[in-house]
Amino acid sequence: MEQYLGVLILVPMVGAFLSFIIGEKSEKIRDYFAIGMTALTFLLVIFTGHAFLKNGTDLVLEIKEFCGFGLHLKLDGFRFLYAAIASFAWLVSTAFSQEYFAHYGHKNRYYFFLLTTLSATLGIFLSADFFTLFLFFEIMSFTSYVWVAQDEKKESLRAAATYLTVAVLGGLVMLMGIFLLYHLAGTLYFDELVGLSQRYPGKELWIAGFCIFFGFGAKAGAFPLHIWLPKAHPVAPAPASALLSGILTKAGIYGVLLLTGYLFLGETTWGAFVLVLGIITMVLGAFLALCSIDLKRTLACSSVSQIGFILVAIGMSGLLGEENLLAVQGAMLHMVNHSLLKLVLFLAAGIVFMNLHQLDLNEIQGFGKHKPFLTMLFVFGALGLGGVPLFNGYISKTLIHESMVEYMELCQEGLLQPVFSFSVMKTMEWIFLCSGGLTVAYMTKLCVVLFVQDNNNAQKQQSFQNQNYIKPVSAIGLCISAILLPVLGAFPTQTMGKIAALGETFMGVEEVPDIAYFSLQNLKGSFISIAIGVVLYLLLVPTVLQKKTAEGKVYINPLPSYLDLENSFYRPLLLVVFPSIARVLCRFLDCLVDSLVVFLRHTIFRDSALPHELEEGTWLTDSVGKLLNAFQTGLFSGKKEKRQTIDYRHKLALMHRERIENQTIINRSLSYGLMLFCIGLMITVAYLLISLSRG
Amino acid sequence: MSVSLLCIVILFPMLVGALIPVLPFSNRKQMELYLFAMVVLNSLLVWTLILLHPAESLTVAKFTGNLTITFRLDGMGMVFAGLVATLWPFATLYAFEYMTKESHEKVFFFFYTMTYGVTLGIALAENILTMYFFYELLTLVTVPLVMHTLTREAILASRKYLYYSLGGAAFAFIGMIFIILYGDTISFTYGGVLDLHKIGNRVDILLLIYVFSFMGFGVKAAICPFNSWLPQAGVAPTPVTALLHAVAVVKSGAFAILRLTYFSYGMEFLRGTWAQQVVLAITSFTIVYGCGRAIKETHLKRRLAYSTISNLSYILFGAALMSPAGLVGALSHLVFHAFMKITSFFCAGAIMHQTEKHYVHELDGLGYAMPKTFTIFTLSALALMGVPGLAGFISKWNLAYAGIESGLPLGYIGVGCLLVSALFTAIYMMTIVIRGFFPGEGFDKNQVASFQDPNWKMLLPLCFFTVFILYFGLFSSSFIGFLQSLI
Repeated sequence: MEQYLGVLILVPMVGAFLSFIIGEKSEKIRDYFAIGMTALTFLLVIFTGHAFLKNGTDLVLEIKEFCGFGLHLKLDGFRFLYAAIASFAWLVSTAFSQEYFAHYGHKNRYYFFLLTTLSATLGIFLSADFFTLFLFFEIMSFTSYVWVAQDEKKESLRAAATYLTVAVLGGLVMLMGIFLLYHLAGTLYFDELVGLSQRYPGKELWIAGFCIFFGFGAKAGAFPLHIWLPKAHPVAPAPASALLSGILTKAGIYGVLLLTGYLFLGETTWGAFVLVLGIITMVLGAFLALCSIDLKRTLACSSVSQIGFILVAIGMSGLLGEENLLAVQGAMLHMVNHSLLKLVLFLAAGIVFMNLHQLDLNEIQGFGKHKPFLTMLFVFGALGLGGVPLFNGYISKTLIHESMVEYMELCQEGLLQPVFSFSVMKTMEWIFLCSGGLTVAYMTKLCVVLFVQDNNNAQKQQSFQNQNYIKPVSAIGLCISAILLPVLGAFPTQTMGKIAALGETFMGVEEVPDIAYFSLQNLKGSFISIAIGVVLYLLLVPTVLQKKTAEGKVYINPLPSYLDLENSFYRPLLLVVFPSIARVLCRFLDCLVDSLVVFLRHTIFRDSALPHELEEGTWLTDSVGKLLNAFQTGLFSGKKEKRQTIDYRHKLALMHRERIENQTIINRSLSYGLMLFCIGLMITVAYLLISLSRG
Repeated sequence: MSVSLLCIVILFPMLVGALIPVLPFSNRKQMELYLFAMVVLNSLLVWTLILLHPAESLTVAKFTGNLTITFRLDGMGMVFAGLVATLWPFATLYAFEYMTKESHEKVFFFFYTMTYGVTLGIALAENILTMYFFYELLTLVTVPLVMHTLTREAILASRKYLYYSLGGAAFAFIGMIFIILYGDTISFTYGGVLDLHKIGNRVDILLLIYVFSFMGFGVKAAICPFNSWLPQAGVAPTPVTALLHAVAVVKSGAFAILRLTYFSYGMEFLRGTWAQQVVLAITSFTIVYGCGRAIKETHLKRRLAYSTISNLSYILFGAALMSPAGLVGALSHLVFHAFMKITSFFCAGAIMHQTEKHYVHELDGLGYAMPKTFTIFTLSALALMGVPGLAGFISKWNLAYAGIESGLPLGYIGVGCLLVSALFTAIYMMTIVIRGFFPGEGFDKNQVASFQDPNWKMLLPLCFFTVFILYFGLFSSSFIGFLQSLI
């Protein structure tokens, strides 16, 4: 049975290569093949999960020494749940892709990377140690890059570069954390890391934890690394956006869950850290979403915000310690809900884009009028996301809200050591409710734009009449996903409770009591949010977010462009500030050795005359000349007027040379020879005479 | 017999090289056949030697006292010799195809084959004198290769190469003298040979000399600031840049430093001293520096050369950690980087050979014209980045683990540098891949229609290297286990 875990990951991987080969021959078969592969994966997940549920024991697969460290896969309730949701989302998006990509190029590439990413994503959700997790995490980052860059437009490539940079940066910082963790704990198994923070109270573990959190947070889209989401989603193809937002960000959340539930179990400081980050992410995302005038960008910012909600839940679970049941359930259910909601919403946005090739709210205004199917999809999604009772989002948001209320109560009763004071906690609760309100507001804005208002351009409104906007294959998948939303929301005890029960072992929660989801107390929170939302919509949209022009009311983004964190902070920092510092340093270092060589060449290794050689003359003329020169300077130094000085060294050398030349001429002349001959003759004669006279 | 092989594998390629101008080849094919057969034969001999693994050493010449030219095959030598012997035949095959467009190939192959023997000499050297001898020889036989095209830049580059190498060797020489003076023996012994009694209170001098000779050998391994010869030497034909400047020459420098650190000075003597801090800081800096320069560089081969600078310092970082884990990391990166870099260089060479394009910004859309080359290049890029599942990840993991394990602040910083460098590697390698495969909207494929993948002589080595990178990425434990057993 364990082998199925390996098979689960292998099937899409092999399928990716096969689909590439098939795609070279026939596109149609490839499309159906890809759908078949995702369906097969989904069925395999269900089949394996079914067997697991029957036995009740976790499945564990170890592939020793693979990739140097060995792979460890595990299937428990939560992992099964997420593997199933991921493969389901993949199935629906793949089915939708067939229609969406009808007029796209590079489809073979898209399908190849779609399937490899499925394989990597399943690997992440099934991983049982940090090494395996990291391995699949990196693969996922790289393969999903191709999705964003798919249409190769300038802004797509730019967004893709941002995405890749954030992913790689996150991955590397996480790797650093994993190194530190491994050094401290000597193991990377999740199960052996439980409560590590109590065993190692030192600073290193916290550094490791923050490093790992950085990586996961970047993928999840937590502030301040959320920058890739609003850029990447609008340019990525809709099925890819659905998966990026619905599933891939959850891979990051999965990691945060691991850190909170395993490594830092019962650490309130950690919980507080995650909570604060979650609050910021939640408000910021929702606010950006309300201001945005691009359909998919709004949804992307909404994803940031919803991730914030999940982080809040995770933070609460850390703060609550033993009593974290509600928070844990809230986190898990909101993950599940958000995955399904964003699947539906992004694919619905995909329908709009597929037909209009536009995402600007002013351009697509009125597209959804008289289209009941699209309206149903979108409105279900909106209601779910807004946390309206009877829809799935309500359940998880209520749980998260309740966990905050519970925390405040416990702190007041003195059962828990409060990290935040009561008023701070109360403020956070209100921020939470307001974020819920913002969610309602931006979703209302989208629904009104798409389904209620007419386009400013009447001619354009006419062209929206076409009813053939979706094919049956795509429609079926979408329909099933959309129907799930109210079903989950209307029968929470039968559905959501069961789902939450699946996850309980993962987070170490003991038992799940029945929760009265629809009690007045719980409904109150939701109604407050909705009321805030309505008020915000009525207040903000007509005044700040719209502008009157000649053509009618136009939606505008009131935020100035310099508030873009990526363009005004990260990019200048990474592309201008750091490189210019580095450039100066590099210039210096480059010149260092070369200039040393040049310096030596001009000093020690200079081409110069040998010391005993003089330029001209002999040592005698040289020294006498020098003496005369010195005498000359000494003689004239006191006088004011400049006199023509004579270089005696040179003069003497010339005289010397003249002398030598004359001598040579004389030496070589005939008369000189004759003279010498005569002298010799005379000496001989003289000798003879002397010797004769002596007798 | 197996002992005499030690000498044969070194002298045989020199003889083969020396015979090239003498033998009467009627055409190019004959020469290729002769050369390839001989190179393969020598590689087989090396592998036989490795399998037989003779324990005794072979002394060829004896000077005064204990100064001898001696060969022996130990674990580290085995790794380096095996690496060189595996790569050389493939590189030769590739060179045949590449050199069809260059002139004076006889001269080229003359020196190219000789270098094989000299490199093996470094790998098999038993003592520091022998290693130094072959180290100097290596400079001399490779200078003509850099100068090969005889253009102005080539001559300038080779002059620079010569200045740097000889200057570095001078410092290395000082280190050698001190080992001879203060060591029990000059043979390489794991754990070091220094005699603490002889040293007495001169420890700081010895540490200074260690830093000197580290830098001296480091010139060939292109540590900052002695690196500028390497990118300039890129004017040489690609087989030279790929094999010599990514593998043989620069790895000889790294190998010499490993020998010096672990086998002459000894890690006990050096660990925790200021000398270690200095070399750790320099290597960590070079890791980031090389990558940073690579990002700025637009010439394809020079970019890879900067990448080599960075990656060599990974190895030296392992050396500077002065722990068994560091040695394992360094040796694994020595081997894996050789494969990754030779692959990327050969891909770059194939691109330049087929399309005459030398700059990164000219590569738009070439991925569609040369899919095989670019796919392999992508794989080598991912491996260099250290993506899990490929060989580069294994060695980086080992190095980083050794860095953390050392517990030194500079060790942690070094690991940080490794990670930053991985990010930079992603930038400078992926920009090439992205240009190749994502030329942007509205790209006209006809622009690249005339180009195609190179023939089998170029592709076969690439495929082999790719298989290696993949295999060792997935199943590395036996190899890492082997490295650990060496210590």
